[in-house]
Amino acid sequence: MNTLRVAVDVGGTFTDVCIFDDHTQQMRVTKVPSTPSDPMIAVMNGVERGEIELDKVSLFSHGTTVATNALITRNFPAAAMVTTRGFRDVLEIRDGTKDDLWDAYNDVSPAYIRRRDRFEVTERVDYLGNTITALDEQEARELAERLKRRGVKTVAVCFLNSYANPEHETRMREILEEVIPDANVSTSAEILPEIFEYPRFNTAVANAVLAPLVSGYVNRLADQLRVGGYDGDLLLLHSGGGSMTPRLAEKFPVRLAASGIAAGAISAKHIAQQCGYDNAVSLDMGGTSTDISLVADSELRISQEWQVEYGHPIIFPSIEVLTIGAGGGSLAHIDIAGSLRNGPQSAGADPGPACYSTGGDQPTNTDANVVLGRLGTSLAGGVKRLDKSLAEEAIRRVIAEPLGMGLEEAAQAIISVANANMADAVRLVSIRRGYDPRDFALLAFGGAGALHGADVARELGIPTVVVPPNPGVTSAMGCLLVDIQHDFAQMYTGLASAADEDGIEEVFVALETEALARLRHEGVSDENGLLQRKISMRYSGQWRSLQVPMGSGPGALEQAVRTFHEQYEREFSFRQDDAPVEVYQLHLTAVGKTPKPAFRPAEVRAQAPGEPAGRRPAYFGDLGWVDTPIFERDALAAGTRFEGPAIINQLDSTTVVPPGTRAEIDEWLNIRIYLEETNA
Amino acid sequence: MSMSLVATLPQKRETVLDPVTFEVLKNAFATSVDLMSEQILRTCYSFVIYSRDFSSALCDAEGNTVMQGSGDIAVHVGTLHFQCKAVIEEFGDDIHPNDVFAINDPYRGGTHLNDVSFIRPIFSEGRIIAFAQNKGHWADIGGPVPGSFNVDAAEHFGEGLRITPVRIWSKGVYLHDVAQLLVSNTRAPEQAMGDLHAQSEATAVCERELLRLVDRYGTSTVEAAMQETQDYVERTVRRRLEGLPNGTWETVDYLDLDPGAPESLVPVRIKMTLEGSGIHYDVEGGPAIKTFLNSGYGTTFSAIYAGTKTFFPDVPLNSGFYAAVTADIGPEGTVVNAGWPYAVTGTVSGPYEKLMNGIFELWSQIVPERAMACAFNLEYLLVGGRDARAESKQYFMWYDWMAGGWGGRVDRDGSSATAPVFGVGLAVQPCEGQERLSPVITTMHQIGTDSGGPGRFRGGCGIEKGGTLTDAEQAVMSYCCDRARSITWGIEGGLPSIPHGVWMNRGTENERFLGSIFSSVPVQPGDTFYRPSAGGGGFGDPLDRGAEEVLEDVIDGYVSIGRAAEDYGVVITEVNVDLDEYEIDREATAAKRAWIRASRAGWLTEDAASVAERYRAGDLELLDVIRRHGVILDWGTGELFEETTRQHREQMQRRSADHWGR
Repeated sequence: MNTLRVAVDVGGTFTDVCIFDDHTQQMRVTKVPSTPSDPMIAVMNGVERGEIELDKVSLFSHGTTVATNALITRNFPAAAMVTTRGFRDVLEIRDGTKDDLWDAYNDVSPAYIRRRDRFEVTERVDYLGNTITALDEQEARELAERLKRRGVKTVAVCFLNSYANPEHETRMREILEEVIPDANVSTSAEILPEIFEYPRFNTAVANAVLAPLVSGYVNRLADQLRVGGYDGDLLLLHSGGGSMTPRLAEKFPVRLAASGIAAGAISAKHIAQQCGYDNAVSLDMGGTSTDISLVADSELRISQEWQVEYGHPIIFPSIEVLTIGAGGGSLAHIDIAGSLRNGPQSAGADPGPACYSTGGDQPTNTDANVVLGRLGTSLAGGVKRLDKSLAEEAIRRVIAEPLGMGLEEAAQAIISVANANMADAVRLVSIRRGYDPRDFALLAFGGAGALHGADVARELGIPTVVVPPNPGVTSAMGCLLVDIQHDFAQMYTGLASAADEDGIEEVFVALETEALARLRHEGVSDENGLLQRKISMRYSGQWRSLQVPMGSGPGALEQAVRTFHEQYEREFSFRQDDAPVEVYQLHLTAVGKTPKPAFRPAEVRAQAPGEPAGRRPAYFGDLGWVDTPIFERDALAAGTRFEGPAIINQLDSTTVVPPGTRAEIDEWLNIRIYLEETNA
Repeated sequence: MSMSLVATLPQKRETVLDPVTFEVLKNAFATSVDLMSEQILRTCYSFVIYSRDFSSALCDAEGNTVMQGSGDIAVHVGTLHFQCKAVIEEFGDDIHPNDVFAINDPYRGGTHLNDVSFIRPIFSEGRIIAFAQNKGHWADIGGPVPGSFNVDAAEHFGEGLRITPVRIWSKGVYLHDVAQLLVSNTRAPEQAMGDLHAQSEATAVCERELLRLVDRYGTSTVEAAMQETQDYVERTVRRRLEGLPNGTWETVDYLDLDPGAPESLVPVRIKMTLEGSGIHYDVEGGPAIKTFLNSGYGTTFSAIYAGTKTFFPDVPLNSGFYAAVTADIGPEGTVVNAGWPYAVTGTVSGPYEKLMNGIFELWSQIVPERAMACAFNLEYLLVGGRDARAESKQYFMWYDWMAGGWGGRVDRDGSSATAPVFGVGLAVQPCEGQERLSPVITTMHQIGTDSGGPGRFRGGCGIEKGGTLTDAEQAVMSYCCDRARSITWGIEGGLPSIPHGVWMNRGTENERFLGSIFSSVPVQPGDTFYRPSAGGGGFGDPLDRGAEEVLEDVIDGYVSIGRAAEDYGVVITEVNVDLDEYEIDREATAAKRAWIRASRAGWLTEDAASVAERYRAGDLELLDVIRRHGVILDWGTGELFEETTRQHREQMQRRSADHWGR
């Protein structure tokens, strides 16, 4: 019987594997080094190391950075773009803006397809979809021949106003497929049927340059797994937090562009749900950066826009994750005006923090944590040793002496600035959406999240911190928790008050038919298919729209308008009931429910922790040095309660429970840290 | 009023906050301002605001700027404190919690009438501790021309509504009559009303955040942090100047013309002095001109700050910066210090970008690793009329601006297709959006081949955009730009790029060159209009550019085979265009380069009238007239501008020819 569910999350340094056994309802994890030149090697190594019998696997799901890395390294096959005459440079002109407003030497990176590989054909339709100039088929065919001679492997067809009428794009595709049968062709209206040429073209072009690579990778991996005995579908985590099969990934590879980032956020949502929090913010802090995501009303925030690099938008629903340059390796320094700063520059893995003894001599957050006794000098079960004296030397030389501070004071200052920066970032993702962080729980994971979590929570007035059982592999678990999901959209502009409700219903029904067909194509039975309608609206005359849930049948639109006013007020703290509301776009999300692992809660028995594994002084701000017990995480059973200060060691992470807080191990073996007694 | 901000002594205030509290509050101020920007971007009505023509600031109780938004448009930099101080001056003690004020007055430090600021006092312990401000460009602010860009205006009465400091909310009570008066003077009152509310609400976001900090850290700590954040920036600038040479540097740049005076470029002279602890500018302009391209003092200071900041990109902007950078901009009545009632709405196209580029040129000598030649000039075309596609025949405004090329740099080509230097965040609009809203079909929107100024490092490429008017009635077209004559220049031996200017019905019998500035030209359905944006000026001698680099440009179509030979002396022949195969003719290239080297000094002194004559006869290409002969004509008729040519040749001698062959 197939009882194993396997999730593999490929990161920059490690490939994490989560194995859940339906039979025992236990999860185990394993980590192998990533193999960037061919990520599949690490995946298969992980399978081997985890002693996974592939013929016992019922579900194999995978979060991959293959697409993201290809976009970063620009390792693309021979690609071309075919576009409307006069519009060869839409990709290069973009919207003309720069990310760095002031540094005249910091340019936006070049377009994904160079100018020499962008070609024009004669054709034009207007904004209503009427043909102004027919597609010149002769010219189109000559161009296809030329592309063939150039050895082009993949083509993006991007015509102006194709969202209103895709016929010319479709015809161009047919011609290309006739002339170059083995080429991939992506048409902009199929990839993204939305107005505005630059984001649509760029999304289609990203899809085109990724297509050969991604389909090659997912098909090779699916084959390997099949050879090993896995007879299910390989499920690929996509940017929107759902998954898709290789069949769809071949067609829409660009949807995998943020696959690697989505997994952590999905885990955060799961943990929040387990713990009974509707609202949570997650702090996934690694060596060089921290990913922050928001679960509000039990849902992850979804953004329509995503980009690997500024100026190259990829317009697909993506889980909103804010990444900031604050990690264990972030460098503390004093700037030219004598002010203490922290990050975003990082010591990275090379030369690394000073205490790693690998050549780094600049102080990092890790060094400050070591100096303050929060982090022990022996990590990963003794595999890695940290040199405290090197950390002290770096902090003394670079921070303490120039600022006239004591060593501990300086180390504390470094940590405080790092925590404040993270707190500011959380404020940005929460407050700008109208949420008050004080109503949230903070989920701390990643290698360094649990070291800082409680202090960041205090900074934000967040009452509770949750540290999951395996903070270092929390992301991989996210891959186990997703459903197949597809997102569809259709432009629909007009005043809500004058909208044709039957017409809107028709559009939704058409989208639903398409969606169900796609789910069936992926092997989802109709009873496991779930369709969710949404609608984007705005006050007439505004530029940005807001997406709200939409029902069906009479009165659905009216209800959606009411929801719009409410949600608008929440996000922007004002509303305009008298202003006309305009419909902008109709959305449909199709979910193919996949069975989830049934995590089994542990038996909770109120108890005190056993004898600590050790004690050491740790420095806590105003309290100074405090003698602090050290516990091993494995030794803390569900129901264990204790008060801070305490430090909890485990293989992949260290948790700090500061003085004045209370901690408890819950039935899912999370550590919950309560900062305010009243909320306990 | 003669405007001079004289150098103050470097501040020696004691810092009272510990380093952590200071860093935390400084960053929190930035967050509070960015939250305000984030909100306005999502709630605005004006498409100009939506395209990021806005800014936000937290000012202290005296109106000094503590923090500006990290994504703000450059032209608002250094004007927000003037506007806040104007409100304080006007209302004094009569400022109360939950008041909100509006101001757009360009004669009190504002930019132009379209930029309307909303300012909200923030109180704690019964006193004002700060002001939150949001400034955004309204799509229309009245006056005789849609969009309120009236090229013909010589005084602000011909431009639109001037808003001196006025109260819109009084102790939380909305003064609808006052608000209505303002918006009723615009062409789009509902949109303006939407922006009035959105902007005012955005300032409330900043207030909420600041009060949260007050709750946590106490009023006096927050007040101290606002002062120290300014001191910090001032200290940073002064430290950066240590190690730079002392001395004075001078340059002059030009506007194209004064419509009320005989043909001649209009000078903007800049002298910069470094004396160890501060930066001082003396700026002098020609008399105020009879069009709306004059600059008020606020914008002139803004240009000085923004130009300087480009060479200190990582230094935050606030009044600490303004304390370290001082300027004397001379008496009122000039293009750089117009004063009431001179028209100033087009300032950014006029003196603003001349000042910025001139300052780039000066600093390029002092900080060569950031050197940059001149960038294209901000430009916008406005076609307005009745949209006959629907029976209602609503008013439409096709209000269009383009990206363009920036100057070549010390070790790399200029940036192509980039927003103007006055506002790098100003996004160009999608053609598909424009076609829905207006009866104009865009026929091309592409990079202009040969638009980048030739140089060892080529200027970035400009854009070409063409359109056709379809179903419209009573349509007129206006254009605001510059540098059809004061052509975007190169430095260190680099060459100029191309002239700006609009062509109507180009390539037909009815072809007309309308120039870089005109107003209310009638347009009929079927008429076409075309205009390029200039590329950046070149950096260094184009004859020093490697032939392979020129070939790469030819393959991508940034440079034509013809201009590769004429501008760079690189002779390239086609082998198989389909497969991007070309050959460099080494021998011919050496000969061509030798010939150009031997002839070019003479070209610049050749009789201008005969150059004009050859252009009119079709014997000389426009780019040769400019890049070889330095002669400036009416590009439509070929009429010679003698005085303009003299001035232009003088500049080209100084910036280009003097550096050749060294």
